[in-house]
Amino acid sequence: MTDLITITVDGRALQVKPKQQLIEALRANGIDTPAFCYHPDLSVAGNCRICMVEVKGPRGFAFGISCHMQVAPGMEVRTPATSENVRLARKGVMEFLLVNHPLDCPICDKAGECTLQEHYMGQGRHESRLPDEAGKQYKGGADHRFVDGKGQERGGKAIDLGPTVVLDQERCIACSRCVRFMDEVAKDSQLELAGRGDHAYITTFPGKPLDHAYDLNTTDICPVGALTGEHFRFQQRVWNLKSVESIDPSDAFGANLTIEYNINGEGGKVWRLMPRRNPEVNKSWIANRSRLLYRDLAVNRLTDGRVAGKDTTLADALAAAKTALAGAKRIALVASGHQTIEDNAALLALADALAGKAEIFSGSWLPVGKPDGIALSGDPVANRAGLKVLGLADNLDALAQRAKEFDVLLTLGHDLWGADAAKAGALTSIPTRIVLSAWQDATVRASTIAIGIRAWAEVRGTLVNWKDRIQLTQAVPVLPSPELEPAWRVVSDLGGLGWTGETAAFAAAAKRAPRLAGLTYRAIGPEGLILPATVAAAAAGGA
Amino acid sequence: MAKTIPRPETGLWEQIYVIEIMKGLRTTFGHLFKSLTDPGHFPTTSYPEEIHDLPRDYRARHRLMQRADGSPRCVACYMCSTACPARCINIVAEESPDANIEKRPAKFEIDLLLCVFCGYCVEACPCDAIRMDTKIGVLVGDNRADFVIDKAKLMDWKPADYPADDTQSQKAPGGTLNAQALAELHGGTRAGAPTATGAGHGQGH
Repeated sequence: MTDLITITVDGRALQVKPKQQLIEALRANGIDTPAFCYHPDLSVAGNCRICMVEVKGPRGFAFGISCHMQVAPGMEVRTPATSENVRLARKGVMEFLLVNHPLDCPICDKAGECTLQEHYMGQGRHESRLPDEAGKQYKGGADHRFVDGKGQERGGKAIDLGPTVVLDQERCIACSRCVRFMDEVAKDSQLELAGRGDHAYITTFPGKPLDHAYDLNTTDICPVGALTGEHFRFQQRVWNLKSVESIDPSDAFGANLTIEYNINGEGGKVWRLMPRRNPEVNKSWIANRSRLLYRDLAVNRLTDGRVAGKDTTLADALAAAKTALAGAKRIALVASGHQTIEDNAALLALADALAGKAEIFSGSWLPVGKPDGIALSGDPVANRAGLKVLGLADNLDALAQRAKEFDVLLTLGHDLWGADAAKAGALTSIPTRIVLSAWQDATVRASTIAIGIRAWAEVRGTLVNWKDRIQLTQAVPVLPSPELEPAWRVVSDLGGLGWTGETAAFAAAAKRAPRLAGLTYRAIGPEGLILPATVAAAAAGGA
Repeated sequence: MAKTIPRPETGLWEQIYVIEIMKGLRTTFGHLFKSLTDPGHFPTTSYPEEIHDLPRDYRARHRLMQRADGSPRCVACYMCSTACPARCINIVAEESPDANIEKRPAKFEIDLLLCVFCGYCVEACPCDAIRMDTKIGVLVGDNRADFVIDKAKLMDWKPADYPADDTQSQKAPGGTLNAQALAELHGGTRAGAPTATGAGHGQGH
C-alpha cells in the first residue's frame, strides 16, 4: 500500500492510513485510547479531554487531544506508556469527571458497560480528594430539582424525556454525544446542552418530548448511565447477558444487530437488541422499531401444530402435511423474503423432489416505503434480494389469479393474510393450505395445517440486503419450545431431503444460485460481503 | 513435579494391629467413664430438646434488612446473585415509587437447597441489605418448594431478637432506634449533607 504514512508513537514507527483521526490510528494499532465524547460515527466535539496525548510541535512535546488531530507524516506522539505527563493528565481528567458523578453503580443500568467505570480502572484509580464533610454535590435528589428560566422543571434522577428514553441528570458528564446524534444522524435537533460549565445539563426544548424514531440510539452512545431506555430499565444487569450476532429481520436495509439473552431457569429469555457497528451498512444505528422486535419472540408463538383448527403435536402436523403433499395433484409453494436463503433453498429442493407437481411462487404483498437514510430501507421484506439471487420471481399476484389450478398451498413463514387479506382471500379456494409459521398470525388462522417453526432470532442463516450484501445471522439458544425446528429442516423433512445442517442447506443454495458459488459462512464473516453482480446483474437492478 | 512421600516405617508392634487398636480404644473408654462419673463433661447436647446456641457470626439462614419504614433495604443491584457461586439468588427488579430510591426488588428468592452458605452475598452487598446472622442453622421442610424462601419470609424477623448494639437492626420497625430512624428518613437529611460516617451515597435511606 503506497498511501500509508509513518508516524512515531512512543518511539515506535507505525504505518497508518492518512486523513484519519489520531485516536483511530492509535486504536487500529492496538494502543487503547479512552474517549467519552468521541464517537467514530459522529463529528468530533473534543470536550471530554480523556484521549489526551503529547504531540511534538515546534516547541517540543505539547498536550493535544487525539480525537481532534489528524495524523500527519512524521508526527511524533507520546502516550501514557512513555509519558508520565500524559498519564497524570488523563488521571486528572478522570478525577474532574468523577467529582460530582454519583456512586450509584449498583442501581445504574449502564454498570458493566459504562465507559466511566472502564476508564476509571484504566486511567483514574485515584482516591477521592473531596473531604467527607464537603460531600458530593448530587444534583439528582429532590433538593436539587429546580425550575429553569423557561419555567420547566429540571434536575432529578428519572426524567421522562419522551416515550422511550429516561434521563438521569446527575449521571450526565455533558459529552454531547446524544446532542450530536440528534443533530447529525437523526437530523432532528430535539436535544440540547443548556447552561454552562458545571451547570450544563441535557434537556429537550421547552414542552417538547424526545420522540424520534431513532432516539434509543442515544442510550447506546451515552458513555454513562444518563440516558437509559424505558424498555430495558431495571430488566437485567448487563454482565448476566450473552450475545450473538444477527441482522434486522424487519427491513431490507439489513442493519447489523446483537441479540442479548440469558438462560436462567425456565429456558431463558432475549432481553434486548443492540446495534452492531458495521461502517458499510448501518454504522452504529438501528431504528427503535427494529430494536423492540425482541419482544415478539416470546409472545403469540406457534409452538405446536394445527390440523383443521385443532392443536396437535408438531409431528402429527408434519405427518398430515406429508400426506397432503403426497395426495396432491398441483401444489403451490410460496417462498418468503422473510426467511433465510437456506429456508428458501429447501423449498426449491422440495419443488424438485415433488417432480413437476409443484410450482413455486414468491414475493410479498406488504407495502414498500421510502428509505430513511439511517438504518431502514422502507422495504419490510428483509431477504427480497435473496429471493432474486435464488432465481425466484415476484409473482404472488399470478398465484392469486391462478389459485383455482391448485389443490395444495404451502407457505413458508409468510403472513399473506396479514399483508393483504383481500388478495389472499383468493387463495382460500385452495382446499389444503399448509402454513409454516413462527407466530399465530392471520395466515395460520386461515390454514388447514399449520406447523410451528423457529423465528428469525433462533436460526442460523444468510440474508441478502437491498444493496446485495449477504449477511449472516446466528441463532440464540432460547426457544419458546425445544421441539421447534428451523424452517429448512421442516421443509427437508416434508420432502425427505435429509439435510443435516445450515451449512449443507447453504451449500445446496450455492449450487442453485451462481452468485453464491464458492461462498462459505466463514467467508461471509460478521460484516457480510457484497455479492458479485455476475449473472443476475440485470435482475438485481430493481432493488 | 511429583513429590515422593515416604511411607511411615511400621515395626512389628504396629503390624500386629491389635495393640494399636487397644491404644485407640483407651481414649474412647476414657471419655466414656469420665462422662458416666461427671455428666457436665458430656460433650454432646440432647438435640432437639436442647438447641446449641450458635454464635452471632455463624453463617445461618439469610435475612433482608429493613429501612425504618419497613421497606427492604435491597436496591436490587444483583451484586449478591452475581457473587453467588451456587446461583441460588433470584432477583427481579422494579421501579420504586420513591424517586430517591429508584430501584427495588419485586421478587427476591433464595433457594436454600442450592445455597452453600459461603456468605459471599453478605460481603458483596453495598447496602448491608442481606445478612446471615439469624442463628437459624436448622432448616425444615417437607418439599423442595419449602426451601425457596421469598422476600416476605426473608424480611420476617424482629429487632428484639437482635442485640441492642446492632444499631442497623434496631432501626427496623419495632426496634429501639426506629423512631429516630423514621424521623431521619422523613426529615430529609440527605446524603451529601455532612454525615458522621460519610457512608451515604446519594440515594437516601
